[in-house]
Amino acid sequence: MSTLAPLVLPPKPRGRWKPWLGLAIVLLITAVTLSPQWGIAFSFDAIARNWQNGADKVLALLQPDWTFFPRTIPPLVETLQMAVIATFVGAVVSLPLSLWAARLTNPNRYTRGALKTLLNAVRSIPDLLYASVLVAMVGVGALPGIIALVLFNVGIIVKMVSESIEVNDAGPLEAGRAAGGTQLQINRAIALTDAWPAFVNQTLYVLELNVRASTVLGLVGAGGLGLLIDAVRTFYRYDQLSLIILEILVVVVVIDAVSAAIRRRLV
Amino acid sequence: MTTLTPTPPATLGRSALVVPAKPSSWRRLTATIVVTVIVIVAFWSVDINWARLGSLPGEIVRYLWLMFANPNWDKIGEALLQTWRSVEMAWVGTVIGLVISLPLSFLAARGFAPAPARGALRLLFSVIRAVPEIIIAIAILSVTGLTPLTGALALAVNSVGTLGKWGYEAIEGVDPGPIEAVRAAGGSTPEVIRWGVWPQAMPDFVSFWLYRFEINVRASAILGLIGVGGIGDMLTSYTQYREWSTVGMLLLVVVVVTMSIDAVSGALRRRITEGASVRELDR
Repeated sequence: MSTLAPLVLPPKPRGRWKPWLGLAIVLLITAVTLSPQWGIAFSFDAIARNWQNGADKVLALLQPDWTFFPRTIPPLVETLQMAVIATFVGAVVSLPLSLWAARLTNPNRYTRGALKTLLNAVRSIPDLLYASVLVAMVGVGALPGIIALVLFNVGIIVKMVSESIEVNDAGPLEAGRAAGGTQLQINRAIALTDAWPAFVNQTLYVLELNVRASTVLGLVGAGGLGLLIDAVRTFYRYDQLSLIILEILVVVVVIDAVSAAIRRRLV
Repeated sequence: MTTLTPTPPATLGRSALVVPAKPSSWRRLTATIVVTVIVIVAFWSVDINWARLGSLPGEIVRYLWLMFANPNWDKIGEALLQTWRSVEMAWVGTVIGLVISLPLSFLAARGFAPAPARGALRLLFSVIRAVPEIIIAIAILSVTGLTPLTGALALAVNSVGTLGKWGYEAIEGVDPGPIEAVRAAGGSTPEVIRWGVWPQAMPDFVSFWLYRFEINVRASAILGLIGVGGIGDMLTSYTQYREWSTVGMLLLVVVVVTMSIDAVSGALRRRITEGASVRELDR
């Protein structure tokens, strides 16, 4: 017959106020951002007053104007051309830069840091802002759109691929150095082979992003479907807008499926 | 008596060294050909005046010089005000998005709702993710007009798509042990969520919310392009006036603000998902 020891509850862990403090800060910022004086003046009033307006638009969106279809084909093709060209140029530019930005393939701390800082800055500006500035620089058309996408792509590919080079096994690279290879030879023969799957993977991912992004770049005049979106929006043709949205949906889903299939092959 | 005649080592080495046959590469060859054809067709068919490309680098350098050689700091006050407006849009969009997506991601996770509801929600999430936020903003425009509220609502809708998806994946990824333990102790579904799922999934959720906030900060700058206010709005106006020194200043503001928000939010995310550093625990 053993007697049960009296049940002693362990003391509650300290620091339980911390999540509550975090929640309070979040609520405070939210209150400020919602307020009319300092914030964006959130009101259900406007929504309640105009919801009928929105409901009409949604109704129009639900009835696509199929007769509009032939006119959407050339911009759709241009969108895809922009995405493909930007992905290709972006990938070609990124490959050497990725080797430059990784510690194992570029031991020089200063040149590496300089490139990384530059790319961080490039990455923090969204593609549409690049496009709107570039349209003012080089004129309306597919070219500013492609340059904007390339800038955006290089930022992403170099970051992801150089990070994957850094987690690769350093052994083969040391072997290459021990065999008397120069850094250039080591990079070409060893690091590049190791980085290849990551590189192809990121390039496919960037192609998906580009297809999405290039559909709206035209809103600022950079070619593709966006030009058409802007046109039908000015005439309030929401039935035509809905057809364009449907096309974007189909293209994005198809590209995602194709690139997912290729990726499964690769792994 | 037979004498062993030693074979010269050089010959031995040479005869043993057989280079293995190259692996069959028809698949790689096909892939290369397909990719090359697609790229060439795209380059050849696209409507671009390639002759202009030659003068392009010079042009870009000239504009970069105009923008950054002497940025116009007179308008910095207004720029910061508009940036604050953009960040507010991003914040409100994230908060509304997380409030809506949190219950939805439980309904979309296996084990909490009937299969049809799960399928419908997942379809909704993926449709939202495929539509660019600027198009959602154009649709919302008719209700709330050209105000920052429109931007916030568009970001909220878009956030529901990503947060909902990441959320149900995180919920499905938790260790089922604690959930079974709560069930075995007689817990109801809310209690299972509170004590079985939440303690495990919370760090993931908070980190998703912060990450989505970073995305929304970038996206809110984009939404300015259709006129809902914020830094993007200001940037388009000054680009159209071709006041390049002001455009340069605005771009610098965007870069600095975005990078600082990313740095703070990234540090918070690391602290939340990886826990306290060893030094902090020592104290």
